[in-house]
Amino acid sequence: MPLNPAIEIRDLIKMYRGTDEPALNGVSLVVPEGEIFGLLGPNGAGKTTTINILCGILSATSGSVKVSGWEYTHNTEQIKHIIGVVPQDIALYPALSARENLYFIGGMYGLKGKQLKERVNQCLAMFGLEEFGNRLIRNYSGGMKRRVNLIAGIIHQPRILFLDEPTVGIDVQSRMVIIEYLKKLNEAGTTIIYTSHYMEEAELLCSLIAIIDRGKIITEGKPSVMISNKPGCRNLESIFLHLTGRKLRDY
Amino acid sequence: MNRLFASIKKEFLILIRDWAGLGLVFLTPVVLVLVMTLIQDASFRKLDETKITLLYLDKDQDTLGIQVKQGLEKAGFFELITSLKDQDLNEKSLFNEVKKGNYQMGVVISKGSTEAIWARGQQLVRQILLGADAQAVEDTSRKAKIIIYFDPAIKMSFKVTIRNTLENFTSKIEAGILFKALSSELAQYLPEPPATLSDPGGGIIYEEIYASDEYTEIIPNSVQHNVPAWTIFAMFFIIIPLTGNLIMERESGIATRLRVMPGSQLQALGAKITVYVMVGLIQFILLVIFCKLVFPFFQLPSLVLGPEKLALLLMALATTLAATGFSVLVGTVARTQDQAATFGMVSVIIFAAIGGIWVPVFMMTKLMQTASIISPLNWSLDGFYEILLRGGGIREIAGNFMALIAFFAINLTAAIWVGRKRVRQ
Repeated sequence: MPLNPAIEIRDLIKMYRGTDEPALNGVSLVVPEGEIFGLLGPNGAGKTTTINILCGILSATSGSVKVSGWEYTHNTEQIKHIIGVVPQDIALYPALSARENLYFIGGMYGLKGKQLKERVNQCLAMFGLEEFGNRLIRNYSGGMKRRVNLIAGIIHQPRILFLDEPTVGIDVQSRMVIIEYLKKLNEAGTTIIYTSHYMEEAELLCSLIAIIDRGKIITEGKPSVMISNKPGCRNLESIFLHLTGRKLRDY
Repeated sequence: MNRLFASIKKEFLILIRDWAGLGLVFLTPVVLVLVMTLIQDASFRKLDETKITLLYLDKDQDTLGIQVKQGLEKAGFFELITSLKDQDLNEKSLFNEVKKGNYQMGVVISKGSTEAIWARGQQLVRQILLGADAQAVEDTSRKAKIIIYFDPAIKMSFKVTIRNTLENFTSKIEAGILFKALSSELAQYLPEPPATLSDPGGGIIYEEIYASDEYTEIIPNSVQHNVPAWTIFAMFFIIIPLTGNLIMERESGIATRLRVMPGSQLQALGAKITVYVMVGLIQFILLVIFCKLVFPFFQLPSLVLGPEKLALLLMALATTLAATGFSVLVGTVARTQDQAATFGMVSVIIFAAIGGIWVPVFMMTKLMQTASIISPLNWSLDGFYEILLRGGGIREIAGNFMALIAFFAINLTAAIWVGRKRVRQ
């Protein structure tokens, strides 16, 4: 019996109140388990809306969403336990230390006592933050905050991890640490759904890619296959520009 | 349970690191309650405990003028000034000094006032003995006159109090002069001169009794009135840190993270409510201790709690729940910190104003008295007065308690509804 796909979206439509055009206009996607799936697109294309619906933050106007075979309408709590989310914002309490933030978040996922303490220490060590664990988040550098933001999404070892531009605005060193960790996480079996504006990073990291524009998926597949199928395109960035155009996308 | 505990711990840590918020919640109320009670203490004290300076001009230079002066000085609550810069007062200089606001009031005993009273006494005797013919005998148009000049900036209530005191005081002197005049005049008409009449004093005895239960330890005073009023007002100050906390979570994306984590919105709010209700109760207990132990050092009476301590605690709990529920709703509806802080404080001030925190509800217009019913601060104040002034207990405050709990429940339900509607739209 085949496994449920990690993500299954059918004919997803999302209309925001007060707008004439849909943010998502019939998006359908299937992400098998164990993949690193990159959802790419220009500003306002519908990436964050898609991720937010997949995480249960937003509700769709119509269409169906299944996460590991479950639907939000019936299995919200089960889904919440198996997904991890790394939002674009630094969603941490600035008045708490990294360790306190992670204790709280781990506690919400049911971790406690020695198990929680060990997991927090392990994660901080993995991201080179062990000695800064007791420092308040408000006193961290941008790169350190990003790393703790990522740890907050994986503290409970989720089966599916959503990352919305996790490396935006940080130094190369921090970015490399994050990319390396995501690869290791994926090798350990975690499905990763990832959005980014960094094409090179996506090409390096993702096993599957979909490009979304104006609320529609305009292409999807393996990056290497996509590049070889487009004559004249040498990398993902050139495919991206070829498909979405060079016009500025302010929305 | 683990989640709730983790959330409570987190909220507690955030709170104790917010020094500005802690100052607002714990320090400001202490200062507020102390200052407001000290300011309003004078109006609750008897008049004879306060010295009021007044300018005094005796143009009568006779019995009335002399006795009023002696009486006012003897009474001890007026300090009389009859000359300024070594110059005797005249009516113009007295008027100008009061007009400038240098003195709040001036009293002028008009020339011939004693004579006028005396003449009235004579006239009365003649009316009794000669009947209607007496009208023709004497001109009664002369009247004793006391002019009181008030500073226009003086409060109406203060003016009325002073005027009533003076009227009451001078009427006794007037009665004394009248009795003497009557004796003197009667002596002329009777074969045997009567013994000199004297005023036997008021025939009516006034006895003041507070209509409260037997617990006589409670005496209405500035502390018993002001401490509950300003404590309730201060308990609603948590609107600032709590709305700030909610909006910070929303603006930073933490609220989004909370939504994708296990646990309900009610659980997340439950942790905040638990911590802030504890803060409210601690705030209340600290204020009570402060008012009991520290107030006497400021010449204020110590707060008397009465026997119904549980009822007090229940009112404090209901009040802090109402304040927390309202704060959660404001923090959910407001889009920015500025919106929440401005709307939150203004709404609390309006609730306080119409709720009788500053001016007792019974002194308001009919319209405002009706409006006071909508203020949760009024329900709370009424409950505290029931315990601290009327000696009531749990049964007496049940209505106020339930109203505050209902207010909390309605606000929380509305906040959850607005929150859900907003995030998933």
